[in-house]
Amino acid sequence: MESVWFKPELSDAIMQNDEIFESTTSIVTDIVAEHIDLSHIIENMGAVLTHKETEKRCRGMKFYTKILRELPKSILSETQIQFISTFYIGRLNDHHSIIPSVIEGYLALIDMNNYKANNSANFLATLFREVSCQSQLRQDRYNIYLVIQKLMEKDIDYCKQLGPDLVCGMVSIMDGERDPRNLIFLFNFLPKFIKTIPIGHLTEEMFDVISCYYPIDFHPSPDDPAAVTRDDLAKALCPCLCAIPEFGEQCLIMLMEKLDSSLRLAKLDSLALLVESCKTFKSETYCPFSKALWSSINRDINHKTDDEIKMASHEALSALVAKLALIANTDQSFENLVKSILIANQTAIAEAKTVAQFVQPTKVLLTTANASKESCVVITRCMVPATISYYEFKTSPKLQIASLDFLGDLYDIVKHWDVLELVKAQVNEIPKLCLTTVSNPAKDFQIAGFKTLIRVKDILRSDLILPFVEILTHNAQHSQDTDVLSISVETIHAIAKKYPELIMNLVVRGNCQISNLTQDKVALQKRLHLLTNLASIDDFTKVIIEDILRLISTFEKGTNLVVEALSDSLSIASFYTSEKVMQIESDHGLIEPVLAWLYKEIPSGNQDTLAHGYTLVSNTISSLPAEKQQNILSQHTQKVLDNCQVNDVYFLVLESLYSPLHQNVYTSKFEEVLILSIKVALNSQKELVRTKGCVLIAHMLNKVEHGQKFELLYELLKNQLSECSKHDESLCPRLIQMYGWITKALILRGSDMYLFWLQKIVGIMPNTSYSKYSAEAIRIIMTEFSDYLSPKLHCRISLLYRQRMFLSFSLLVDKFGALSPDVKEDYLLSWAYVLDKTPKTVLSSEGVKITSIVVDSLEYQNEELLIVSLNTLSHLIKSQPLISCSLQTVLPRLINLTKYTKSMDVRIKSLECLYDIANTFRTSLLLPFKQDVLLDLAPSLDDKKRLVRNAAVRARTRWFLVGAPGEDKAN
Amino acid sequence: MTKTADNVNPDIYDKGSEREITSSDYDENIEDLFDEREIFDLIRNINDPEHPLTLEELRVVEESNIKVDNIKNLVHVSFTPTIPHCSMATLIGLSIRVQLLRALPARFKVEVEITPGSHASEYAVNKQLADKERVAAALENNNLLQIINQCIA
Repeated sequence: MESVWFKPELSDAIMQNDEIFESTTSIVTDIVAEHIDLSHIIENMGAVLTHKETEKRCRGMKFYTKILRELPKSILSETQIQFISTFYIGRLNDHHSIIPSVIEGYLALIDMNNYKANNSANFLATLFREVSCQSQLRQDRYNIYLVIQKLMEKDIDYCKQLGPDLVCGMVSIMDGERDPRNLIFLFNFLPKFIKTIPIGHLTEEMFDVISCYYPIDFHPSPDDPAAVTRDDLAKALCPCLCAIPEFGEQCLIMLMEKLDSSLRLAKLDSLALLVESCKTFKSETYCPFSKALWSSINRDINHKTDDEIKMASHEALSALVAKLALIANTDQSFENLVKSILIANQTAIAEAKTVAQFVQPTKVLLTTANASKESCVVITRCMVPATISYYEFKTSPKLQIASLDFLGDLYDIVKHWDVLELVKAQVNEIPKLCLTTVSNPAKDFQIAGFKTLIRVKDILRSDLILPFVEILTHNAQHSQDTDVLSISVETIHAIAKKYPELIMNLVVRGNCQISNLTQDKVALQKRLHLLTNLASIDDFTKVIIEDILRLISTFEKGTNLVVEALSDSLSIASFYTSEKVMQIESDHGLIEPVLAWLYKEIPSGNQDTLAHGYTLVSNTISSLPAEKQQNILSQHTQKVLDNCQVNDVYFLVLESLYSPLHQNVYTSKFEEVLILSIKVALNSQKELVRTKGCVLIAHMLNKVEHGQKFELLYELLKNQLSECSKHDESLCPRLIQMYGWITKALILRGSDMYLFWLQKIVGIMPNTSYSKYSAEAIRIIMTEFSDYLSPKLHCRISLLYRQRMFLSFSLLVDKFGALSPDVKEDYLLSWAYVLDKTPKTVLSSEGVKITSIVVDSLEYQNEELLIVSLNTLSHLIKSQPLISCSLQTVLPRLINLTKYTKSMDVRIKSLECLYDIANTFRTSLLLPFKQDVLLDLAPSLDDKKRLVRNAAVRARTRWFLVGAPGEDKAN
Repeated sequence: MTKTADNVNPDIYDKGSEREITSSDYDENIEDLFDEREIFDLIRNINDPEHPLTLEELRVVEESNIKVDNIKNLVHVSFTPTIPHCSMATLIGLSIRVQLLRALPARFKVEVEITPGSHASEYAVNKQLADKERVAAALENNNLLQIINQCIA
């Protein structure tokens, strides 16, 4: 049967039933397949489109529009479109209920590929004349705006031709729009419209129609799913108001009016608009307003409590100054503005009595200086001498230090604008002031003075160096305070980079000479620290390192200090990059003499001194490339191995050689080394040697290449262990420790084989005599050591290994039944180690389970266990008050712990937990316990340690507020 | 509340630094006695009822105006209103008193008084603050308690 749209009955069908609207897709298919022409269908629709009753015509137009929307965009020819367009334009005069589908249909028409923009002139003219946009529904208004936007996208040149007509129409249709979603659309579209279409004489009207929304005052309804916020609207409106320079004057007048408003949002919006407007408006626009603008900004920039307004004012000021600086050469207003800023803030600085009052105006000045080159010059010329005299005039140390900081900041800006030459005379005074400052021996002055000196080191003249160096070398050798010590060393370092020769003569060859091994051990230590630090600068490396190596080779008495200082400095990566260490090693040969020294010292020396030697060797080797490492191994391995046969202390040397290797280094000696490591790890009498044995095994397992080499070592390890483990009961603790290290190495490597070893560790936990060792092994796995298995030593560190550990561990221990009370403590302790290091996000997802473990732990007296558990508890309390159900269990235990005599840390932590509970739990849950807690906390107020008392005061005063009037809490 | 502050533009001073924590503070075996600084730390951060400033910043309380006797269990605090006619003097005194009541062990007898010669109705205020009954009665008043809690928090 032929479908209805092939016949004139189509009209009747449209009028009578709704189902026909479903069949538009079939019609479109027929048109596309050329079974029927669109003109035929329109003919068949003739009756309904021209029907006398509005309602019927409306249905007809709806149907027509629906077909148009569904048609492929390329199918209609230019003539067809022109024809349809004319028809639609005619319909605009029709009844108001038809208009929405007319506009919608026209929208579909514009989207057609063959649509020509010249059809639109008529459409727009009729639209603007006949249709009152304000009386349409929201969606239809939106469609009207969309028509204009689409036309602009289609043919921008034609739209430009339409010029004032289009603008006038636009102004009239958008006037009075109040729907937020439509407004967002308009605000996003308007800047482009205003910038491209010549507005001509309609500037004022256009601005008025936009500015009536300013400042946006809008509160979205709380249950709107896709709410437009006030901030969205404000952000979108801002660029419309300053889209073209022609808006300038009007915009600024409006802006200033709103700046003076008492409404906070109006101020914020105006400040943001000022910043935004500086991007488009001409500098000249601002000239007449600059004075008034500054006085408004000045008021807000000193706002006492509102930081947001303060920040916005700073940004606005910066934009304004930068803008006016562009015409600094032709117009007075820039100079006037900067002058008034200077005057206002100088007064404020002069009246300042506290640091806060001083910092406030200096910040304004810094913002001004930061805004442009010109303002930077003016401000620096004026403020540097002013601040220096201020420093000499004011006696408060805090203000003096603050003014020194200000000078440092100012200098940074001078450097940023590269105007040093212009203000040389003024800034050259800053180092002198630094000298005055550091002449005061007080700690704060020393630190502030040298800090500023480091900042301004580029303008430090050579004639000032001598006095500085006098103070610095004295500090570096005799200061008791670590902060002063480190800043002094840092300063010498900074000066040395600029004046290597002077420092060489004054310090290295002068009063800090290395060979001058005075009796005072502490001073010598500090001097060596300074020298090894300086050795990282290229000019000094040769001289100092050679001296040091000569000293080490002489085996004189103070050499242990030399080794210690060198090892300490070498491990600071910011001074000694691995390239630098490599260069030192290849130029001067560091390892040879140190190893020689170690061989000499091992029989006699104490472990602490030797440890520095081992660290030095290991640090140096870790910085070398693979082939150099291989060289060193081939030179030294055999000798060390031989020595190890005699005394296993020499194993420590072996460990320092083999631990820091790259992953791709592998020698034929590896198996021998591994077997030896296992041997010392199990049998050595010295604990340190045993640990290092385990560490070396772990390093080798962790780093060896995947595949054959790994298999080889792993099998070797398993065989060795299976041989020895059965002999001796007393080996068990050592074995468990080693399992810990092996598990750690494997899990860091990302290998699944760690599970096998972890099972062994966990499996032995229910055994009363070994449970504490397996807890210790868990500690080894979870702890991050800086010297072992670290990235610095080229170890593999797989991501998320702690999460894996947490999951595997909780799976394994889940299999335990009821544990005997003897091992319960160690079991909980292992949990504590795991929980302590597992990322807190993981813990939060397992809250219920962990809470019960933590609460159980609080019953024991083990200090370590308690501290970790309290830490975890405090995290749980803060992240999710899950344990609310157990408050009556938790509170008595925590209160009990506030009287824990063995450790003040436990007391403090439990008091902090009590504070957190009062802070996060719902009042209704807390109130039943309030009186009891307050009574029970009273004894802690009289604790013998002050830090505990402080925590107790904090917790108790917080509990007093629970449910009391004036408590600042939502629930 | 439309009443403007008694002292619209008070002198503001810098905050002192935090108490430095020495190694003996971490030594379990040393007993730390209460000292003036500790009492000062308890009350320095009380907010002024009129300004968003602490009593320390306004120099209403100063460490030198505090006396502690650990053996006789006495604490004496004198505070200095910013102007002699300050109507908030009683409230400030009450806040200090309440804070010390909550934060000090019960063994101490606490006296809070106005620094002699710094307030017009010094005697009356001192008498009010020393009267336990009246302090307790004041704390029964919810409005007053709310203001005090906000000052202390």
